[in-house]
Order: sequence, then C-alpha cells, then structure tokens
Amino acid sequence: MSYIQYTKKLALVDCNSFYVSCERLFNPKIRKKPVVVLSNNDGCIVSRSTEAKALGIKMGEPYFKAKDIIIKNDVQVFSSNYSLYGDLSRRVMRTLKRFNSDIEVYSIDEAFMDLSNFSDNEVEQVGREIRETVLKWTGIPTSIGIAKTKTLSKVANHIAKKKQSGVTSLIGIENLDPILEKIDINDVWGVGRQMTKFYQKNGIYNAKQLKNKSNTWIKKSSNVLSSRTAMELRGVPCIDLEKTASKRKSCVVSRSFGKRIEKFQELEEAVASYCLNASEKIRSENLVAKAVMVFVRTSPFQKQFGFYSNSRTVDFPIATNNSIEIVKNALSVLKVIFRKGHRYQKAGVMLTGLTDAENNENLFSSAKDERINRLMRSIDNTNYRYGRSTLSLASAGVRKSWSMKRDYNSKIDTADFYCLPTIRA
Amino acid sequence: MKLTIPYYLHKAGAGFPSPATDYIEEDIDLNVHLIKNVPATFIIRVQGKSMVDVGINDGDLLVVDKSLTPKNFSTVIANVHDELVVKTLVKEKDKQFLTSGSKEFSDRILINEEQDIFIWGVVTYVIHSVH
Repeated sequence: MSYIQYTKKLALVDCNSFYVSCERLFNPKIRKKPVVVLSNNDGCIVSRSTEAKALGIKMGEPYFKAKDIIIKNDVQVFSSNYSLYGDLSRRVMRTLKRFNSDIEVYSIDEAFMDLSNFSDNEVEQVGREIRETVLKWTGIPTSIGIAKTKTLSKVANHIAKKKQSGVTSLIGIENLDPILEKIDINDVWGVGRQMTKFYQKNGIYNAKQLKNKSNTWIKKSSNVLSSRTAMELRGVPCIDLEKTASKRKSCVVSRSFGKRIEKFQELEEAVASYCLNASEKIRSENLVAKAVMVFVRTSPFQKQFGFYSNSRTVDFPIATNNSIEIVKNALSVLKVIFRKGHRYQKAGVMLTGLTDAENNENLFSSAKDERINRLMRSIDNTNYRYGRSTLSLASAGVRKSWSMKRDYNSKIDTADFYCLPTIRA
Repeated sequence: MKLTIPYYLHKAGAGFPSPATDYIEEDIDLNVHLIKNVPATFIIRVQGKSMVDVGINDGDLLVVDKSLTPKNFSTVIANVHDELVVKTLVKEKDKQFLTSGSKEFSDRILINEEQDIFIWGVVTYVIHSVH
C-alpha cells in the first residue's frame, strides 16, 4: 500500500523578553544589562531580560518588592511603552507573513505558523531562516519551536529558548517521552492554575504523565479541553490555526489612576476619555455597541479608607459607535454610581453587545446619523494623522491629572512622527 | 504608515467634464517609493554634524532599511561601543571600517563584532527641509 504521508508541522514563534527587546533596539547601552519593563502605572514587572531573570526577579512581581535587587544590581527599569511595542509587534508579524505560510497571531509577541509544506528534514533549517530574518529586519530575537501540534510546538519552544540557535524541531523524533518528562505540568499549553492543582493531586506532574493517561480517565475526571491537550501531546492535531481573528463581543478600556482621585470632575474626565478610546477602537473595527457599562472602585489594599466598588450598565436605544452618545450615556450612569468621599483608584468602561455596523440601518436611521458618522470618521482620520486626542471632547478634559504613572518611559515611538528615535551623527 | 485616500479633482455634474479628470487618480504616496520593505524600515532623526559632507545635516530624517546588505560607501547606522551612530562604510580588501563623512573628522573605526562594532541598518534616503 502506498500513500502520501502528510505530517502537519506547526511552528510557534515567540519573541524573547519582547518588551525588553523593544527597549533595547534603539538603546544599545542596555544590550547586556539586566532590564525590566513595568506594567501600567509602574505596578508590576511584566518583562525581564535574561540577566534580570538570573538575579531572581520574578514575573509579575510588584515593582516595590523588587526594588532592593534592582538598585543593588543597577537593573534598568522602563515603564511600558505600548505604542512602541505594538509597532514592533506588527513589524514582526508582517515579516513572518513573507514566508507564505498560514499564520495565526496569537498574542503581541507570539504567532503560530503552518510549515506543513516543507519536508521533514528541511523544516528546522526553515525555522532558522525565519529566526534570522526577523532578527535582521526588526532587531527582535525570537525562539521557534516546531512540532506536529500546537501544544507540542509550545514544548519545542520551551526547549528552543534555552538553546543558542533558538530553534528546535521535534519533527521526526519517534519517542518524545524523555523530552515530555522534563516539562512541568503547569508549563503545558492550556493547563491553567486550577488544572495544575487537580493533576498534581492525581499524581500527574509532567507532560509525559498527562500524555500517557487514558482519554477515558481524563474525560471522566475533567473536560473535553483537557483530553484535547493530551491528544495533542501524543502528536494528534486537535487545535487548528485560527487564521481570521474572530470579531470581538465587547471592548474594555480601564486604567488605574496615577494617583487616587476624589473629585467627580476628574473621574468624569477619565471615564469620558476611556469612552473615546473605546468608541474609536470599535469604529476602526466597524462595529456598533448595544450598551455601555461603567465601573469605579477604590483600592482594595487601603481598607482604612473603606472599600467601594460599583458598576452600572445603560442600553442605547439604537446600537451606536458615536463617541458623543457613548460619552453622554456613560457620564449619566457615572453620576448614579459616584459616591462622594472615596479615593478612587480605578475606573473603566465596557462597550458590550458589539455587532457589525453595516447591519445597523433601521426604521429610525436618518440623515443625521450619516452626518454624525462623517464627523466621527473625520475625528478618527485627524487623530490618526496628528496623534491621539488632537480632536477630542471637552468632557475628556485637557489636563488629565488623573492619567497613568509612567515615570520611566523611553518616549520613543517608531510609529509616531513626533517621537522618532534620534541617532547621533 | 498609511496610504493616502485617492481623490478626484472634478465634481460629477452637468456640463463638460474636465479632460484632466481621466489622468488624475491619486496623490503621490512617498511611502510607496521611499520604503521598499515596510516591516524593516525605520524613520530616524539625526542629531549632530559629523556627516555634513555627505549631505546629512542636524535634524534631518533618515529612512533606514535594516534588511539590506550595505555596499561600499553606503551610509549606515552602526553600533559603536553600544551607541548607535550614523557613519559611512568603507570596504577594503580584507577589512571594513566606518568613517564619518566630514573632512574635519578623520576617524577610521574597524568593524569588529567581538568589540561590539557592527552594522545596524542601511540608510536609503535623507529627508532634509530647505524651506
């Protein structure tokens, strides 16, 4: 019997310490130094260079807790500069698309690629070419793991991260048990914190043990998703590449404030400004929202001031993406949930019930709607050209004293004409 | 980087249409012509006067393509002792070195990866305001 054997070959491309690599691109002085990047509001450590990891700084650790190590070892600290990271992420993904393979952008710094049309013995070389191209074109180092399934490509990536070449292929390896044995169960893709606890209770500590558990046991004791993970570890592809991003159902914009705020007006400005961001976002995706939810809360860690948290949703008569209407409605419910005398730490808005804007014509649509749509479009175009918030609503405030803390921002943005990197000549 | 929206000079309406309408399709989009490899191209601002003799002035904008391999006398962005600088690359028989474009600077820096001297990207265009 002869048949063409078709093995699936999936690659996971993962940018190494992505935010740190972005900060290093135009700042070679920190190329070999320990570097960390902080989350919004300079709260926690969200990206660490290899050198910073070696110092024992943990992922997600609050900045103040790591401060001693940071000062003692001259660790370079950066506030997150998401517009820079976003631009470099787009560049990395566009570079990957040049390889004529299907690609799924999985997160800001990870993508799956389908390399099935390369032969088994050339696929690792292809991986190395991809890695070199991304590094040369964008300056971002990556690790690439290649295997028969998404879950195994994550495992391969885990190994690639520790290798000088940065590329590992598990294609053609008959017995993966010795490799899977070294992968902790909580490092397996799709196994969360709850599942890890459950597996450990049942004597499953590594990927090999999960792989060798019977499907019936897994299905009986947990769920279908877990048996999918086990199948994938056995080399049976169960999770396909998601090539088209599914349209979102909701859009959240929320931030912690740089300092606690007490005045209604400041809270009002923040909420209005989040509404503007959210409505711009859904307009860019050609969606309309059925409702807006507003929430506010005080810090849960400062109980001496009393904890207060509340939220309220308001439905629009007709689904909309009109900034003015969204802001107006959000502010009216903010008035309802605002309590005087609290020190607010966080507020946010969520646009829900998102649907396609095209199908939104109805009995009550009028020429006025078209005029508003045109106004929104010209606001978006102007802001795209001249930078965020060139055109805004007065209710969003001008001073923004409530805005985020970003004490260590590198202030470079490769996609913003006014923040371009400067180089000495 | 964004393409501009094509626009038409002539309004549709009664009367004889302008014969030029057929020929005007859209604005010239410099991105298309100056940027060959979008994900690998960065716009960088120059600070300093060491490259004045090759036409690069303080405050100019450089179009830098990281994907290109530099030729002899290419203007490049180089990493020199962990600082990015604008230089001219000169290739000789068995070595390559960097030099600044000004006559007043007679520097020669040998390319040496081990000493952290290497090419970062190749400058393809200089944008200089004369107004």
